[in-house]
Amino acid sequence: MSTQLPASISEETVTEISAERDEPDWLRQTRLDALSALEELEMPSVIETPGRRWTNLEGLDYESIVDPLDQRDETERVSAEGAEVLDFETALDEHGDLVEEHFGSVTDPETNYLTALSTALFTTGTVIYVPEGVDAEDVKIRAEMNSTSLFSHTLVVTEDNASATILERISNGDTAVDGDRYFSNIVEVASGENSYVQYGTLQNLDEDVYNFTLKRGDADTYSTISWIEGNIGSRLTRSDIETELNGDSSETKIVGAFFGHDHQHLDINARVWHNGEHTTADLVTRGVLDDEARSVYEGVQDVGRDAWDTSSYQRENTLMLSDESEADASPKLIIHNHDTEASHSATVGQVDAEDLFYMTSRSIPENTARNMLVEGFFVPVLEEVEVDELREDIDDLIVARLD
Amino acid sequence: MATLELQNLQAEVAETGEEILRGVDLEVKNGEIHALMGPNGSGKSTTAKVIAGHPAYEVTDGSVTLTLSEADVADIDADVDEEDLTWNLLDLEPNERAALGIFLAFQYPAEIEGVTMVNFLRQALNAKLDEREELFEDEDEEAEAESEKDEGYETSPMEGPADDGDVGVAEFQQLLKEKMELLDMDKKFAERYLNAGFSGGEKKQNEVLQAAILEPSIAVLDEIDSGLDIDRLQDVSKGINALRDEQDTGILQITHYQRILDYVEPDYVHIMLDGKVVKSGGAELAEKLEDEGYDWVREEAYETA
Repeated sequence: MSTQLPASISEETVTEISAERDEPDWLRQTRLDALSALEELEMPSVIETPGRRWTNLEGLDYESIVDPLDQRDETERVSAEGAEVLDFETALDEHGDLVEEHFGSVTDPETNYLTALSTALFTTGTVIYVPEGVDAEDVKIRAEMNSTSLFSHTLVVTEDNASATILERISNGDTAVDGDRYFSNIVEVASGENSYVQYGTLQNLDEDVYNFTLKRGDADTYSTISWIEGNIGSRLTRSDIETELNGDSSETKIVGAFFGHDHQHLDINARVWHNGEHTTADLVTRGVLDDEARSVYEGVQDVGRDAWDTSSYQRENTLMLSDESEADASPKLIIHNHDTEASHSATVGQVDAEDLFYMTSRSIPENTARNMLVEGFFVPVLEEVEVDELREDIDDLIVARLD
Repeated sequence: MATLELQNLQAEVAETGEEILRGVDLEVKNGEIHALMGPNGSGKSTTAKVIAGHPAYEVTDGSVTLTLSEADVADIDADVDEEDLTWNLLDLEPNERAALGIFLAFQYPAEIEGVTMVNFLRQALNAKLDEREELFEDEDEEAEAESEKDEGYETSPMEGPADDGDVGVAEFQQLLKEKMELLDMDKKFAERYLNAGFSGGEKKQNEVLQAAILEPSIAVLDEIDSGLDIDRLQDVSKGINALRDEQDTGILQITHYQRILDYVEPDYVHIMLDGKVVKSGGAELAEKLEDEGYDWVREEAYETA
């Protein structure tokens, strides 16, 4: 066993959560299975360099940051015409079969210790169901965390020829809870044939929150899953974004932006599996670190044996604003099919002294010049964000952090 | 009448202590064109960078002063004392030197992603106007100005700065359009990221455009002729002559070759060797260099030494 199970979590706890919500047997059993798997499951794998394991997930005091029977959130959901955007309990009532069919089908609850913990304990979340042929624009989820810990599960199902643009914001509510806290969010996207999903998240939790998120999509034939991930808040974020390109001619884009300061720690992972033929992936991440912030990035493009005619691209750039900040990046390309066009790159560097001098030599004060360079650094990523509101929100938070 | 004066300027590379400038003397007044020539490694680019305040160099001796006339500070709102007309540039930050009227055109301009030309230039022009006021303000006013200091864009960098500052967006667009037409520049450049993906010639043209907009008293042009084809060389030269003729800018033209001097005729030519100006003269000096190279200068300089 990798981590001691918090004393507050037992079969009784899980059964109580499930009973309170009047859940069907299959879900209660899925929770209990996840709970018993905790004994055997490992923490998510973490980048290691000689003498160093970059993120210490084992070291978190889950005993004090997980309080499963006191989970409170305020979640606002905005639907779009023709689509259903429901809290989990309502979705179980109204679309029980749909939820049963897809829950855990994209992300195995027993992927690792933290996914299993989340499955056993989740009390909030959203089910987004977009029937065949429906275009659901501007679906919004605004979630506020108001307790020591909160576990959330979101399931997106788009049927054939449907599309959804989803904007999710995660932050703390006004209800003050002191001390270290834990937020866990699992998102599954099951796309139908020729469907399109853009799922954008802006995480701005306060800096006492430890945050674990795993987002995973299963792209069917001719479908596109596009992820946008903005990480600004939290004390520690472990974020995994993954797409399985299982259908022929499916596509994915993973766009990430993060900005860490003070003692924030960001562990960002983007992974794509090319399983079908003629699949395309584009992974673009840019991050900025100030003060004593740390980041670690891993990006994996995995081209399967049968993935003929694959196109796969990955770029990651981290900019460090202070001598005390640290970053590591590890882009990986695994190719099992020779009919592949692929590239990957990662850079870690500081604000270019020549760029800074160039701008100051044009009368711009050094601090303003530095801010302009940092804002400009994010622009190539922001340009990928199709939802204006999300782009503006991310940019506003970047600007606010620079002040 | 603005005068830039270098006296016995000595400088080394800050990191290694390698001595580059060994006592440079130069004087450039506005309205004049000076050519600074010399073989590779003689210290020409270092001279330009030290004037502009590049942090990679440390000045070990000598001075760089800028003396302004009352006409040069006619735009300043505050009362300008007589003593405020002479500035020791070595005491000032690069942006302050620029605000006083020094412009450096770079041999290899930075490529800055995510910052469009139009936003950068308007930001620069407004920063210059603000900084000029601050430099001439007394201390109380300075503290007040400091608290109102601009800290970057107020809106998305993709949209550009909010419509504040001395020069508004519409007014600036018009100014930019005029200057670009003057330099035969395609207007699409204004919306592109600063120098990103520009050809060598486009970058040089962009440097002249920036000088045309910021209207410096003294422009130091570091090998602005390198990498230009003949058409572009003529465009750039036209821009430089316009700086002098229309804005009365003093030009310090650093070059290896006579070629640009056919279009930008210098009033004075200075030759640098081993970190010093060893010979000065008129335009004929450049022609002689073109014909005979630097050996005779070297011989003359060593004989004198």
